[in-house]
Amino acid sequence: MGDRAAAYGAGIVLLALLSLLCVIGIVWGELTGHRLVTGALVGVVLLAYSFVLLFLRKGGFTGV
Amino acid sequence: MYKRLLRRLLGWTLALDVWVNRVYPADFNPLYYTGGLSNLFLTILVLSGIFLFFYYVPSFNDAYTSVQFITAEVPYGQIIRGIHRYAADGFIIAILLHFFRNWFTERFRFSRDEPWISGMMLLVFAGFIGVTGYVLVWDQRSALLVAMTGNSLASIPLVGGWLRSALFGGTGLTNLLLPRMLYLHIGPAVFLYILLWWHYVRIRHPKVWPPAVWTLFALGIVMLLAGVLPVTSQPPASALSTPGRLAVDWFFLLPYVGLKYLPPLGLILVGAVIVAYGLYIPYQLPETETELGIRDSGVAQVIDANCTGCELCYYDCPYDAIVMVPSPHPGVTKAAQARKLLAVVLESRCVECGICIGACPFEALELPRYLERDIHEKVLSACRSET
Repeated sequence: MGDRAAAYGAGIVLLALLSLLCVIGIVWGELTGHRLVTGALVGVVLLAYSFVLLFLRKGGFTGV
Repeated sequence: MYKRLLRRLLGWTLALDVWVNRVYPADFNPLYYTGGLSNLFLTILVLSGIFLFFYYVPSFNDAYTSVQFITAEVPYGQIIRGIHRYAADGFIIAILLHFFRNWFTERFRFSRDEPWISGMMLLVFAGFIGVTGYVLVWDQRSALLVAMTGNSLASIPLVGGWLRSALFGGTGLTNLLLPRMLYLHIGPAVFLYILLWWHYVRIRHPKVWPPAVWTLFALGIVMLLAGVLPVTSQPPASALSTPGRLAVDWFFLLPYVGLKYLPPLGLILVGAVIVAYGLYIPYQLPETETELGIRDSGVAQVIDANCTGCELCYYDCPYDAIVMVPSPHPGVTKAAQARKLLAVVLESRCVECGICIGACPFEALELPRYLERDIHEKVLSACRSET
């Protein structure tokens, strides 16, 4: 695995961890009635997933 | 001069493409999907709008309260309201990017004037729908918008008063205002899809949806904004007083800022000139001699004997001008004898571009006034002029 792929791989792992934190936040927001926080964190998860897809491609894990 | 400006703008647009392609893989470049992004935002708007519609009450007494109820009481109502609001901004941004990109890259040539005209109408309708949406909230900004729009319309000679009554249901604030605004918010939104059909009908492979990266990004950014910058109403509109200041949404209400500097009729005239010029853009530059030469090459003809029914021309024609029909008889050449389909050119749709000629490996298509020998002659004369 090249340096480039390793760097993007590390980015993907970080984004996955961020998403996990956000999911915990979403559950907390739902349980405590902080629905604006919940909505914003769902947005962050979607943004993180979009960057995961980008990094997968740029790291050479998927695509052309 | 305009041509020189257009060439420079094309250069900048392509330079921006190259720069973005360094950051994103080329098939992820968002600038290639501005139309698809507009569609995505429109879909978000429709879905969130249906949700809001179930709770909204279009009357002076209840409109503001119903919006407050959505915001404060309905589970995730404020998030959905924010999604609707920020997706509307995204819709306008995506349409404007699409507009400027296609303008600067001259994607209105040949028969692409139809997508251009329908696109201009989509832009105008999208702006109109946005303004009616602001009125529906019926807060102080809504009242000011109604007053400003009414005064501007009334300044049009002869038909101004009638236009104002038609739009608002009367001269003053009548009970018809909000039901009419609700209808004008939803009715033209349905019309947008008819315009979209017209926008796509002549394009063979339109990119109607962005790649997953951008679908997730757009949804994510809209939801994040809805949560971080929650949408709120201004104080409720009062029948007794009209507020003097307008809290501007730069994407929808920018024209109203013009009222600070121009009289209402002047602003309407400026708007009308901008829209008229937008519609004229495809016809502004006369076609070059080369383009005229190609345009005069005659509608593409299928050479029945050679057609193998392979469908390559059908897939390559960007103008949807070729259909495949069951072959009534076998072809003459060896490759064409076993064919099951036959290509047929729809004359009304053919722009005589010659793309199908290049697509066909069996020499089964030709432009009657632009044959192979004509191309040979052109190449030879070009070579001679070089030497």
